[in-house]
Amino acid sequence: MVDKRNNKYRTAILLALFALGLFLFTLYNGLQ
Amino acid sequence: MSDAAHAHGHHDEHSHGHPTGIMRWLTTTNHKDIGSLYLWFALIMLFAAGSMALLIRAELFQPGLQLTNPDFFNQLTTMHGLIMIFGVIMPAFSGFANWQVPLMLGAPDMAFPRMNNWAFWILPVAGLLLMTSFFLPGGAVAGGWTMYPPLFIQGGISYDLTILAVHIMGLSSIMGSINIITTILNMRAPGLTLMKMPLFVWTWLITAYLLIATMPVLAGAVTMLLTDRNFGTHFFNAAGGGDPVMFQHIFWFFAHPEVYILILPAFGIVSQVIPTFARKPLFGYASMVYATASIAILSFIVWAHHMFTVGMPVAAQLFFMFSTMLIAVPTGVKVFNWVATMWRGSMTFETPMLFAIAFVCLFTIGGFSGLVLAIAPVDIQLHDTYYVVAHFHYVLVSGALFAIFSGIYYWLPKWTGHMYDETLGKWHFWLSVIGMNIVFFPMHFLGLAGMPRRIPDYALQFTEFNQIATVGAFLFGFSQLIFLAVVLKAIKGGAKATDQVWEGAEGLEWTVPSPAPYHTFETAPVVK
Repeated sequence: MVDKRNNKYRTAILLALFALGLFLFTLYNGLQ
Repeated sequence: MSDAAHAHGHHDEHSHGHPTGIMRWLTTTNHKDIGSLYLWFALIMLFAAGSMALLIRAELFQPGLQLTNPDFFNQLTTMHGLIMIFGVIMPAFSGFANWQVPLMLGAPDMAFPRMNNWAFWILPVAGLLLMTSFFLPGGAVAGGWTMYPPLFIQGGISYDLTILAVHIMGLSSIMGSINIITTILNMRAPGLTLMKMPLFVWTWLITAYLLIATMPVLAGAVTMLLTDRNFGTHFFNAAGGGDPVMFQHIFWFFAHPEVYILILPAFGIVSQVIPTFARKPLFGYASMVYATASIAILSFIVWAHHMFTVGMPVAAQLFFMFSTMLIAVPTGVKVFNWVATMWRGSMTFETPMLFAIAFVCLFTIGGFSGLVLAIAPVDIQLHDTYYVVAHFHYVLVSGALFAIFSGIYYWLPKWTGHMYDETLGKWHFWLSVIGMNIVFFPMHFLGLAGMPRRIPDYALQFTEFNQIATVGAFLFGFSQLIFLAVVLKAIKGGAKATDQVWEGAEGLEWTVPSPAPYHTFETAPVVK
């Protein structure tokens, strides 16, 4: 379990990058 | 609500050198404190947006204008919707997630406690922005909670404040979701595999993914509104080559999954409550998980059923009609499983169970009227009528809100250490369930007869059903004061709750003392 808990930053960063990417993709689509 | 935990002297190590008073709540990183903050915020907002609903119903008691003017009426309907969705239902479920997810997983706290604090405390700022916009020149936003242009591009300063508030609430939701997903994926007790997790945790995991996949889309949509309003862009301005219908597509790509964000955690709560009071394991656990995931996936391909009247190709109408109807299949699986769980169970009918059973019956009515509205030719007749208002209130009041009540009654003894007043709880239930049906059932007839939504005045033939609905609204609204009394009474005192609280309750949260100590599972339990 200790290993898993150390992975929490990787999980969070991936999720945050996905959210940011989706926000930018929405804006990009608006420009089309 | 965790105040009671301190009063009873369980594990008070948090008090050594830590802030007290208001600073304790401002700086807290404890999942139970933050859960309580979310729940109190939701309750305050419930009374604020509920008061708006009562004003709306008072105006509609008879034809003509009595208490409001048309613009203020539209402000009330818009703010009622925005606050109930973003300020009541979503924060309430976040409160449940904060309290229960770590307890159910055997985790000491959420994965990112400081981010958890931020995710909550930016929320009252957004709430304040929304509420104060009533007092600005031009009043609050009046373009509907859906924020459609061109109305939303033309309004005053409060429209900018609302856009800012939506950005803040979206950010709060994304931070909360990252925290919840990370907690569930990385903080589970040894032996607690995904398919052993309580269903409430499963529904929140899927809800959090939905939030992360939709909130940025809403943020993008309102950012474009903001630039259209203030920076000369023409994303949605037809006069400048933009397309107002594009906003509707982007908005509903967010807002249909949002409907499931508002209801999946409710499914989770009901799936915890029914097995406890039926004293049987949940029927079809795996199928419940797959049904929840199916509903979430399908929710991304049905958005344009909200837009049948904009003039889309017949092929598109057929696609969105049939894909919408498909959602009834996994939803039906869930309703079947809840009923099968109760079948031949040793049922008792404490308040949480009453609200859960009412949820199953009344949410299903809302689901069926949703199927009616999914039929494109029918929807074209019923679009923007009171039938739609009846439909989504059956889903969100007797669905989401009743599940929230069920969950509060269910876990209140664990949170406060005291049993709530069962007699008052039952009064609250019966008055709510009767009041709720008196308000919203006649609205089906009003809609079928053609009464449009979002109007302060109406034709004479709609008077009787409107009067019935208004009487029901005041009955339902004032019954919520009983709920407030029950909660306050349980915090103050009452019969001591046992650790397990309910005879049929199972799961890690029932292994810790009642009230749950300030710090729990500092040593992870092992799940077999």
